[in-house]
Amino acid sequence: MSDVIEARELRKRFKSRGRVVEAVRGVSFNVPQGEIFGFLGPNGAGKTTTLRMLTTLLTIDEGEANVAGLDVGSAPAKVRERIGYVSQLGGADNLATGRENLMLQGRLYGRDRAHVAARVEELLGLLDLASFAERQVKTYSGGQKRRLDVALGIVHEPEVLFLDEPTTGLDPQNRANLWQHVSTLRERGVTVFLTTHYLEEADALCDRVMIIDDGAIVAEGSPRELKRDIVGDAVVLRVGEEDGALARINAVLAAAPFVRSTTQGEDGELHCYVDDGPAALPEILRRIDSAKIPLRAISLSEPTLDDVFLAKTGRSLRDSGAGSGA
Amino acid sequence: MKLVRDTGLLAWRRAQQLLRNPVWLFVSLTVPLLYLALFTPLLKDLPAAPGLGGNVLDEFLPGILALLAFTSGANAGFGTLFELQAGVIERLRVTPASRLALLLGPLVTGMVSMFIFDLILLIVGIAFGFHVHVAGLLVLAVLLALFYLAMAAFSTAVALLTKEITGFAAIVNGINLPLMLLAGVLLPISLGPAWMGVLAHFNPLYYLVQASRALALNTFSGGAMWEAFAVLAPLCAISLAWATRVYRRAVA
Repeated sequence: MSDVIEARELRKRFKSRGRVVEAVRGVSFNVPQGEIFGFLGPNGAGKTTTLRMLTTLLTIDEGEANVAGLDVGSAPAKVRERIGYVSQLGGADNLATGRENLMLQGRLYGRDRAHVAARVEELLGLLDLASFAERQVKTYSGGQKRRLDVALGIVHEPEVLFLDEPTTGLDPQNRANLWQHVSTLRERGVTVFLTTHYLEEADALCDRVMIIDDGAIVAEGSPRELKRDIVGDAVVLRVGEEDGALARINAVLAAAPFVRSTTQGEDGELHCYVDDGPAALPEILRRIDSAKIPLRAISLSEPTLDDVFLAKTGRSLRDSGAGSGA
Repeated sequence: MKLVRDTGLLAWRRAQQLLRNPVWLFVSLTVPLLYLALFTPLLKDLPAAPGLGGNVLDEFLPGILALLAFTSGANAGFGTLFELQAGVIERLRVTPASRLALLLGPLVTGMVSMFIFDLILLIVGIAFGFHVHVAGLLVLAVLLALFYLAMAAFSTAVALLTKEITGFAAIVNGINLPLMLLAGVLLPISLGPAWMGVLAHFNPLYYLVQASRALALNTFSGGAMWEAFAVLAPLCAISLAWATRVYRRAVA
């Protein structure tokens, strides 16, 4: 299938207190139809700025973006008809009921009342909103409000739905619930482009992930590919308190030809990345044994997207994660 | 056509909000009613003041209507700020709705509620001896609408640009008092020294107040009405054009 989003060398600068900050520096990517595409990165990395350029909310300084077959720069009004967008804030009207919000949203897309009413009925079922559709939005729980926000984004059956940090502020149960609903949208052919700073979200939900840091893309691929190609399997070793044991193990393993890289973690842990974890375990044990280093524990762990981020940027996404905005 | 339809949808949305949360409606009405109740009696004992001839209420009530158009317009941005912070503005900006409609929707509702308040004030005024001249009041309604739209569009644009309450309140309150004092709402400017009269001619509210006094007495000649149209019609057009432009570009 064709690409629903094509971005070429997007750039955006902001002036802030006399300084020019380049928020997005030459970002290019393609999103094929029917994918859930995740844009992963710490806050302030340029995710939201990119999203806002693609959704016509910000002008593009340099580069080109094509969304749903239309050039964003020259035909923003036409692009708006074909996309849905759910901001971090959501933006439902608190004093109106869920149904009223959906009706107005549908009618602003030019659909007639009967058509919108039928579509709203369908959405109330699809996103489990029916039982509280006649209540004012201010009475909704976080999860209920978020599902309404998503419904508002797709009331006009857009070709692509943009979700900006869709599960920020939700508890784990509501988060998993929303993931389920987003997956359902994909099954119905909607392309979903979402930003997130949650590794688990990118991992659990996205077909493909693009990692952005400081305005530039550092890696792109399916979560599995990224973990396999960039990091490999992680073997985690723990040693005793003896002086230098960790450093000695590190030296032994770093010299082994099948080891890609090693990082010393916190509390006496060594992360050793290899292509094939299960196959490497016996050989690792053999080498440590012949070097006569006391080993406390060894385990094989699945690499995470955080390992990918760490490998690419030298920082952990978890450390740079918390906070809000951007 | 699309503009009318979108404006209607968004105006109805704002009307529903007001009806569900009517407290502030009473707040807006309190100020002009207090002026009527607690300021007019003071004027009654000032028979010698030049420029205050005849029935005090006939002179004073039109100014209060002008004042209401001013404060209703200036406060329009508060709603915008609130919706900006709740993400509503951004959600609407991603729809294909006309940008002018995004601006006009709430303004139409604000204007309708202003006219309802005007009617209430007139009824209260009549009870205390205000003389109604229908033709003059109808022309005045057009001027009030122009002034309200100019002021409300300005206020909305300032809200979109400042994005938070502190900056917005500083600007709106900053212009509020000088414009009001230099418009002769409470007492005619002609009571003051000549330089005040000169300054007043740079104040759009002054023209509205002058015209409102003339029109309330059915005076169509004498220039006050034409001067007001000549100032307010272009002002309204410029303000709406500017605010629409801000809506198109706003980085919310």
